[in-house]
Amino acid sequence: MNRVKFAASRILGAVVVLIIIAAACFAIFYLMPTNPAQLSCGKPCSPERLAEVEAYLGVDQSWWKQLFDFLAGIIGGRTFGEGAAAIHCNAPCFGYSFRLRDSVTNLILQRLPITVSLTLGAAVLWAIGGIAAGLIAALRRGRFTDSAVMGAAITGISAPTYLLGLLGVLLFGFTLNVLPIGGYVPLTENPLMWAFHLILPWIVLAIANGAIYARLTRGQMLDVLSQDYIRTARAKGLSETFVVGKHGLRNLVVPLTTLFAIDIGGLLGGAVITEKVFALGGVGTLLLESVSSLDIQVIVGVTLFAAAVVIVANLLADLSYSILDPRIGARA
Amino acid sequence: MKRFGLLAATLALGLVLTGCNANPELNDDSPGNTLGETQKGGTLNIFSEDPDIDFDPGKSQGLAITSLSLVHRRLTTWDIQPDKPGKVVPDLATDTGTVSDDGRTWTFTLKDGLKFENGDPITTADIKYGIERSFSTELSGGLSYHKGLIEGGDDYAGPFTGDDLESIETPDEKTIVFRLNSTFGDFPWIVSMPAFSPVPEGSDDPGTYGLDPVASGPYKVESNQSGAEAVLTRNDQWNEETDPVRTAGPDQVVFKLGQDASVTSQALISDSGDAKNGFSASFVPASQLAQVQNDPNAKSRLVTSGPGALSYLAMNNEREGLKDPKVRQAINYAVDKNTYRIAGGGEISGDYATTLITPGIPGRVDYDLYPAGPGGDVEKAKSLLAESGADLGTLRLLTKNSATDVAQAEAIQQALARVDITVEIRSVDTNTFSADATNDEGDYDLALTSWQPDYPSAFGNIQPLFDSSQIGGGNYNISRYSNPEVDDLIQQATETVDAAAAEKIWAEADKRIMEDAPIVPLTYNRNSFLHGSNVENFIIGEFPAYPVYFKASLKG
Repeated sequence: MNRVKFAASRILGAVVVLIIIAAACFAIFYLMPTNPAQLSCGKPCSPERLAEVEAYLGVDQSWWKQLFDFLAGIIGGRTFGEGAAAIHCNAPCFGYSFRLRDSVTNLILQRLPITVSLTLGAAVLWAIGGIAAGLIAALRRGRFTDSAVMGAAITGISAPTYLLGLLGVLLFGFTLNVLPIGGYVPLTENPLMWAFHLILPWIVLAIANGAIYARLTRGQMLDVLSQDYIRTARAKGLSETFVVGKHGLRNLVVPLTTLFAIDIGGLLGGAVITEKVFALGGVGTLLLESVSSLDIQVIVGVTLFAAAVVIVANLLADLSYSILDPRIGARA
Repeated sequence: MKRFGLLAATLALGLVLTGCNANPELNDDSPGNTLGETQKGGTLNIFSEDPDIDFDPGKSQGLAITSLSLVHRRLTTWDIQPDKPGKVVPDLATDTGTVSDDGRTWTFTLKDGLKFENGDPITTADIKYGIERSFSTELSGGLSYHKGLIEGGDDYAGPFTGDDLESIETPDEKTIVFRLNSTFGDFPWIVSMPAFSPVPEGSDDPGTYGLDPVASGPYKVESNQSGAEAVLTRNDQWNEETDPVRTAGPDQVVFKLGQDASVTSQALISDSGDAKNGFSASFVPASQLAQVQNDPNAKSRLVTSGPGALSYLAMNNEREGLKDPKVRQAINYAVDKNTYRIAGGGEISGDYATTLITPGIPGRVDYDLYPAGPGGDVEKAKSLLAESGADLGTLRLLTKNSATDVAQAEAIQQALARVDITVEIRSVDTNTFSADATNDEGDYDLALTSWQPDYPSAFGNIQPLFDSSQIGGGNYNISRYSNPEVDDLIQQATETVDAAAAEKIWAEADKRIMEDAPIVPLTYNRNSFLHGSNVENFIIGEFPAYPVYFKASLKG
């Protein structure tokens, strides 16, 4: 029962946060000097035509009216324009892009497979690689291996993905010419080509993210290994593998899960820069292009989606604690 | 985002530095810019930074020689040859139009044997409908010169609410007649614009027509996936004999969408993979031009346009100090066009400008009212400023926030500091720039921008930038220049049907405006494009400074 109550209050909180985010998007956009109607008014553009386009796009309304229409659309759907050219966006309508002629929900769903492929593949790489590197460094503490691994980790954390991406393209795409420089092949079409096209973006994203896991794993592990109960376990004559594997690793599960959930959540909302460099038309690219074309409804929709994913990821992490660590469940 | 931009700039700088030679010699003869026989076959790739491509002719601002021209024919089109001025030639029509004695009624007749991709004949009703739908709010956004020109157009809201535009008549399937508000000599160019493509009413769903249009040109849209690619395949109903300009070499044309500009340039420079059979829709950035110039292989595949779009410094004529023509003339002398051009990439980025009508536009007369050489004439500027006695205070210079734009603004700032004019730079993103520069308030003193006409006529150089009706309200008279005498000249020239006579008046207007010095002409920009080694007939004419998509083909 407690768990249900906990989940319910979190969901309610999440809805409030999402509404605040939507309101902020509309308000910020409204205060900007730019006029989205200008972009789709034509050239030359007469003031009368501009007014018509503003009314059609709904940007002539105050920001709170736009927010209200948006929220009402989620419940009741929306219709833009009139007559034979009217556009219907069925409930739940999370906005409509006049530029891309589709509902924001469809636009996100179309691009989600790309972002999911990119994120999950990279996550597997960085979780395995990062944790393994951290463990090795912890067990070889103070030796050359430790310094080498941690040095590499610092480089990974500091290197911006844009630079890593372009260098990767330059090295593997052009100089060695062994990997494709970009593009996406759906998994359902050709699983081999899917992986082949994604391997470079995976590695780039994994390097940027995995380094933090290596550092966290090393730090936590060293902390745990210095605890009294580890000394006791060793004194009992347990094998080192068992001590590290059973008693040591166990303590890393909760912090690593939290970090993992937040990272995955963040990237599912769009790995903007990586997608851009590798010409992967995912959710991040959608956000980037809608910002540059002032497509307010898509901006709000994608922002809400990204926020929702982060919230859900955190919620799942919180719920998983009680399973991973029974002590937390007992207190809750 | 800020970090992203900074990194891009650093990387670009790195590429310039590794290019060794920061000021490469200008390759003027562009050996690749020639037209030969067209081989049929192959897949041509066009790399685009834009993540999507909309083939709806009503919403397009495209030139008559780029993407949409592969799919849609219009009443007229452009015949572009290397190093020759562009000509308007018949496309679907048999000629470039017949005008009535009063100059306000234009009649076009369609050729025989014209068909849509589905085999249906193309009739004038389809063209009338195509134009009408461009008036609807749902499909706004395209080139709109016709909307204020065709009688009743100002109040017409498109066909979707049930009305038609009576001033476009189609007495039979082959004839179409336009009644205009006033005489307009450039009308044959207007009907080459995207909105003058045929659209069959029965197949029109305005929500999705841009994804799946009914083709009249040599290619039809096979698939169009936003963020990935758009594939065009041959339209077997297109008859080459009726089409004077499109060569339709490749069997397939693929638009690779959402490509990173630096990655595309790099792929084209190394001529690898898909890039071998392709070209980039955007010009090579200044940072990578140096690299290309030092690579003989890549250099042989670089095509640089002639001098085109006008880059200029607009001075807000409504501002207190800048109201005085003497001050504006002084600034014309004070500016250093040399440092400005270096900031933009050096000699290959453009030629020094002195006139408003740009090279490649018929009727251009070369002159220089403020002869000072590229470095400017500081003494002359100072004496003019002293004569005017104006107190300028600090001038606010509005510019876009790309690295190149900011560097160019700084060149202007430094040049004006030589005559004790203090300039404060305000750099903003592209959308904010156009909003701030074209709104009714006009809260800036100076603005750096550039302009290319939408079709090769002096009208496009002058009317949008200097007619007093184009101030504010989202329009481009950014210097907010207003002179009734010039307005009259513009109207006269616009209404003159005889091309030679009109050109004379435009040349007169050009010089008359520069006497008032509302702007400082800086450079006529050159654009450089790269193509793969298997691409030929990749040409750029005198106008516009863009390649002709429908002539590009692949080697056998």
